[in-house]
Amino acid sequence: MRFFSFHLMPYPGLPPDYDGPAWITCPNEFFDPASGGALYNRYIDELVYAEELGFDGVCVNEHHQNAYGLMPSPNLIASILARQTSRVRIAVVGNALPLYDPPTRVAEEFAMIDCLSGGRLIAGMVVGGGPEYYSFSLNPTQARARFAEAHDLIIRAWTEPGPFEFVGKHYKLRYVNPWPRPIQQPHPEIWIPGAGSFETLEFVARHRYAYMGIPYFHISVFERMFALMRDACTREGYEADPLQLGWLVPIFVAETDEEARRRFEEHFWYFVRRLLPGINISPPGYTSVQSVENIVKNAGTFALNLKTWDQVVEGHYAIVGSPATVTELLAADVERLGVGNLLGLFQLGTLPAEDTRRNLELFATEVMPGLRSRFPGTDRSAPAAAVS
Amino acid sequence: MTQLVAGGLDTAVGRIEVHDGGEGGGVPLVYLHSAQGESPGSALLEQLAATRRVVAPMFPGFGASQGIEHIDDVEDAAFHLLDVLDRLGLEDCDLMGASLGGWIATELAVRWPERVRRMVLVNAVGLFVEGAPITEIFGRPLPELADDLFADPDHPVAAMMRAMAVFEDDPSQIPFDLLRPMLQALAATARIGWNPYLHDPKLRGRLGRVGAPTLVVHGVCDGIVPRAHAEAYVAGLADARLVDLEGAAHMAVLERPDELAALVRRHLDH
Repeated sequence: MRFFSFHLMPYPGLPPDYDGPAWITCPNEFFDPASGGALYNRYIDELVYAEELGFDGVCVNEHHQNAYGLMPSPNLIASILARQTSRVRIAVVGNALPLYDPPTRVAEEFAMIDCLSGGRLIAGMVVGGGPEYYSFSLNPTQARARFAEAHDLIIRAWTEPGPFEFVGKHYKLRYVNPWPRPIQQPHPEIWIPGAGSFETLEFVARHRYAYMGIPYFHISVFERMFALMRDACTREGYEADPLQLGWLVPIFVAETDEEARRRFEEHFWYFVRRLLPGINISPPGYTSVQSVENIVKNAGTFALNLKTWDQVVEGHYAIVGSPATVTELLAADVERLGVGNLLGLFQLGTLPAEDTRRNLELFATEVMPGLRSRFPGTDRSAPAAAVS
Repeated sequence: MTQLVAGGLDTAVGRIEVHDGGEGGGVPLVYLHSAQGESPGSALLEQLAATRRVVAPMFPGFGASQGIEHIDDVEDAAFHLLDVLDRLGLEDCDLMGASLGGWIATELAVRWPERVRRMVLVNAVGLFVEGAPITEIFGRPLPELADDLFADPDHPVAAMMRAMAVFEDDPSQIPFDLLRPMLQALAATARIGWNPYLHDPKLRGRLGRVGAPTLVVHGVCDGIVPRAHAEAYVAGLADARLVDLEGAAHMAVLERPDELAALVRRHLDH
């Protein structure tokens, strides 16, 4: 079992009277650069603190033109983390490959972070969210094909001696020869986030990558998703390793259950009601019509539809309570889902700095040890080299 | 009124659905539908088919037409249309297109002007006009889009689009059979017109190659394509005139079939 602290770096200062989406068209005049600057530094401190507290890794991700997550370039944050931490894995979950043209840029930057960190990078690769195809005016009907081709190009760039020529449908490069090369050979561990589409599951299983369930659904949706992932691995002729599965979930720990809900609930609702609207925008052709049908079927269980705290508790949309409660809930869920990576969101929405730190401390000291003894097994792919 | 009969046609990209009906009137009229994929059984086509042969191919991704995966941009669309004309044995034809169909018609006409005798464009997209942007069609709530597409809020299609709003609170209740063709039509349109948005930057400079007398129709209530686009087509084409159609928005072909049929007939029979 590996424990990761995942940060979305949300913007907590949307005007109270703004009720539009947090994505694509959310006016950027709402972003206050002075407080935004302070926010970045605070959020980076929270990620660095996770190493001090004994987490196995930290996670950042990529989103553009939105208030939900202020990391248009997760690689910038990851490169800071490479210098400000010395032990934790740094998971970039991920780079939205079609947004990098040519995608050899990803091969270069990921290799830089891997070198800077002494081989601690986890290389996440993602198609990019629906809203990003509006924000980049990138053709959504090419999303899957560009992702697949960019992936192949990056893996070849890391594993085949350069220079070589790459001629694909979307990318044509006469000289592929990226410097530097990653420390981890043949390449860093690869994570692929997904929302349960059959195509993605097959892809991850075929390449023996790790699958991260895209969050904010009812726990039963994840249960189905991970079962499908295990099936896909079986069809590929091997048994899925729990480390190939990751579950991302908001977590908040306080002294008592009552205290936890009291301190956390309003921040959770800011996240759900102010930052999530727009995240589910799906441009035409972004997913197959068959996948849209599945998404529409699951839409009712997406966190955007949450109305009451009871629903949050019932569907395990967030794990909130005393150390004992959180331990018990997470142990049961990890067992049920069969995941080997727990990705916790310890800061969410407007949750202030002191509550975030206290949350991380309580989790690390009073929840993590119990879960570690319950789910032994170590990080089998330990960093290749330590940074001095 | 003459009904069109649905059939299939094998093309280089796959089998497509073609509606065909009527006879006489010199060269056949080929009708290219809009991004709505409006029914070829519309009143407009049935009226036109009363005095001439009308052929309405459904573009790949619309109706039962296959092969959209082989079409990446509007040039592919133009070559597909050329292929369709060849396989139909149409050495020349009159060409009419609505919105997206008007754009594809013009892309064919600038490349192979000899294949087009006369042309009709209804609220055609395809050009970029500084200061007069084409309204966003992707990702809009259907009730809002209905107001841009139809002058008459009570038109049955507009009413149906507004009725879809009841599913906003619980999308899982949407009858998916209703949604599927809309999703497929939008995805097919996005393949051609996502970026550059519903236009081809090179098209305007090529318009002068089209010699076919062209009727450019602008629905005065069109909430999608501003009149400046009709003016730009008329300015660029060698022989074109603009007609403003009252009481019509973007889907003039559905809203004003009688007036439009009369205009088209006059233009083609000239």
